[in-house]
Amino acid sequence: MKRLAPFLVLLVLLAAGFNLATLLQGRTDGWSRRGQSDNVLSVLLGDGRRLFANHFFVQADVSFHSGYYPSIFDQARAVKDTRHLTAKEGDAAHEEHEKQMNFLGPPRDWIERFGRHFIITEHTHLEGNKEREILPWLRIAAELDPQKVETYTVAAYWLRDLGKVKEAERFLRQGMLRNPNSCEILFELGRLYYEADHNAARARKIWDLALRKWAEEETANKEPDPLKLDQIAVNLSRLEEREGNLSRAIQLLELAKKAAPHPETLQQQIDDLKQKLATPPPT
Amino acid sequence: MPSKTMEPIVETRNLRVEFRAQNAGQPKKVAVKDLSLRVCAGEVFGFLGPNGAGKTTTMNVLLGFVNATGGAAFLFGVNVREPIARQRIGYLPELTYYYKFLTAEELLRFYARIFRIPRAEADRRIDELLKLVELESARKRPIKTYSKGMQQRVGLAQALINDPDLLILDEPTSGLDPLGRMKVREIIQRLKNAGKTVLFSSHELGEVETICDRVAIINQGELKVEGRVADLVAQHQANLEKIFLDIIGYQPQLSA
Amino acid sequence: MNTVLAIAGVVIKELYRRKDFYVLFVLTAVITLLMGSVSFFNDAEIVRYVKEIALLLIWISALVIAIGTTARQIPAEREHRTIFPLLAKPVTRAQVILGKFAGCWLACGLTLIVFYLFFGVVSGSREHHWPLLNYCQSLWLQWVMLGVVVAFVLLGSVVFAAPSSNATISFIVVLGILLLGRYLNQVALQQPEPLRSIVYGIYFLIPHLEWYDVRDLIIYDQHLVGWLDCALATLYASVYMALLLFAAWLVFRRKALNQ
Repeated sequence: MKRLAPFLVLLVLLAAGFNLATLLQGRTDGWSRRGQSDNVLSVLLGDGRRLFANHFFVQADVSFHSGYYPSIFDQARAVKDTRHLTAKEGDAAHEEHEKQMNFLGPPRDWIERFGRHFIITEHTHLEGNKEREILPWLRIAAELDPQKVETYTVAAYWLRDLGKVKEAERFLRQGMLRNPNSCEILFELGRLYYEADHNAARARKIWDLALRKWAEEETANKEPDPLKLDQIAVNLSRLEEREGNLSRAIQLLELAKKAAPHPETLQQQIDDLKQKLATPPPT
Repeated sequence: MPSKTMEPIVETRNLRVEFRAQNAGQPKKVAVKDLSLRVCAGEVFGFLGPNGAGKTTTMNVLLGFVNATGGAAFLFGVNVREPIARQRIGYLPELTYYYKFLTAEELLRFYARIFRIPRAEADRRIDELLKLVELESARKRPIKTYSKGMQQRVGLAQALINDPDLLILDEPTSGLDPLGRMKVREIIQRLKNAGKTVLFSSHELGEVETICDRVAIINQGELKVEGRVADLVAQHQANLEKIFLDIIGYQPQLSA
Repeated sequence: MNTVLAIAGVVIKELYRRKDFYVLFVLTAVITLLMGSVSFFNDAEIVRYVKEIALLLIWISALVIAIGTTARQIPAEREHRTIFPLLAKPVTRAQVILGKFAGCWLACGLTLIVFYLFFGVVSGSREHHWPLLNYCQSLWLQWVMLGVVVAFVLLGSVVFAAPSSNATISFIVVLGILLLGRYLNQVALQQPEPLRSIVYGIYFLIPHLEWYDVRDLIIYDQHLVGWLDCALATLYASVYMALLLFAAWLVFRRKALNQ
């Protein structure tokens, strides 16, 4: 009996532990959401994963610039803007970005002067299919923070540019699952269908949905980005114009005018379309 | 009996060692007070005293671990502050710890390298010493696998690697079984016969009486008595143990 | 020199007989290979993230080995009492300091060679080109930086009794310099006096270890650092190594080693 005593005690403790666990299970559900998540990273990091996601998104930007990047001290002075990641040369976003990236300035002392021999001091962007190098960071960022919409749109932009249309679509659809009301992801998906697949009907459907989502956000007082409305409406307008639906194209440009930074440019385009509409087609 | 020259191998002149007190405001602790000793070549010299008497501190000064506050100490006529003073000595500490990740052979090779002993000569000595201390079969095993007795024997081997003219042994038989103690005594006797000088501290007074030529007894940092064992025994008409107890002022408790 | 090299040899033997190096190497290798085996968007040509992760792990591992190994050298000798039979030989305390430094630094060098070989194999297998000069230069600069770190930690080990406190403080200081050393002058400009002068003083006093971190040049296939600049950086590090080792000797030679 003496020999069995330790085992009996162990058995009793195990039984007590099991009973306690079943009793507490229901109560602990209300303590925290973290343990119920199906995502390992959510369980491990909680909301802190967003910080990590942001770090990896920035890492993608660093990679895009081949290591030439402002420090947190330089960034504190600059306006935060990542539109350059999907901007073409000549775009306003690109021009603004070029200005901001002149952060180095002349060296303040001999230490800084000498130290620049060991770092990258030239502002470049990845090109020639090397943009693929930013993709792993975007993938990781998306895993850590699936609600960061920009991750999906930037990754999809570059995947499309690299000719990986299927991967882009899959990634955007993944983003849509986690962000069903995101007009940005819908816009990017539409762009994929239109520019890569040349499927105007499908693109139209998606962009129409994107417009509806934008309107829903506005109705719900969530203050969606007006530039997004401009972007969706203008692109949809171009599609309609090419498909011959000029009235619809004009309607969309009128809608875009409300949000456009330069409405006079759009007004000019509206006038051109109205003239085209008024002129009968040659027989 | 080897002839003794007048030049002392070990000499301290009014050696004084003070340590700062643990707590502020308390006076300094004087570990060694004006100690003057001479150990001549070819002698086996016993250094005795109760715990805390200053034996280890004196040895620490001779070995350069601690700087003397006053006075001076010399080995082979060279001030102990010079590293060259330790070129011809071998030292066996009381607590024998060596690099546990090394084998006995590697340890001896390391110390041989410090003494700049040529490779071939070092190999010969390592073989000889490992045979002497009976560690041949364990030479390739890391020291962490050794028993205390084996570690003590490795210690003896490293103390002899440079064929020293002076051996300083701190409690060499401490922790050894009777067989081990006998072997250590045999080694000391062999060294004496070869004309080496041995300075050792021990609490085994019977052992000291048997093998030492001269002894010094210190208590509370002061030298109380120094001389040949035979002379001291004749002078005090008692054995060394009784002399030791008288000097440290021990009064036996009479049982009721 | 003979004594210094003998002591250094013992340090190196200790490193490869302890498990630290193997654990860190295996960890680095496993994480790198795992990350390398992940397919991102079915693109097998993506390579920079693997290089970035591998080099980050190499830097972390090298720092752990450098600081961990060095921090325990002198305290372990004292705690295990192996310093007594050593100093009972004709060995000066300066030789002990130099020997420990040489051993730890050489051990770091050997570690780096193994890690960089692994890195070269992994990155070369994806990129199909080996910029050997760049790798060698990066290895050299990192090794030289670790020399300063080892000297700093050795000074700490004769000041602090506990290896853990020394290691913690050293990690914080080294990481602080690596991450912020470059920007202290900017931080100083934003402070009012007298804080500005203090921060500026620190900026000029600290060894600028961040110069030696040329990972970005490797990851982004950039140019080599000029050889003159490399030589000047080596000289700069050597001066700091000498200063720190001298300070360590000044402290160590006064320490009483009571048994």
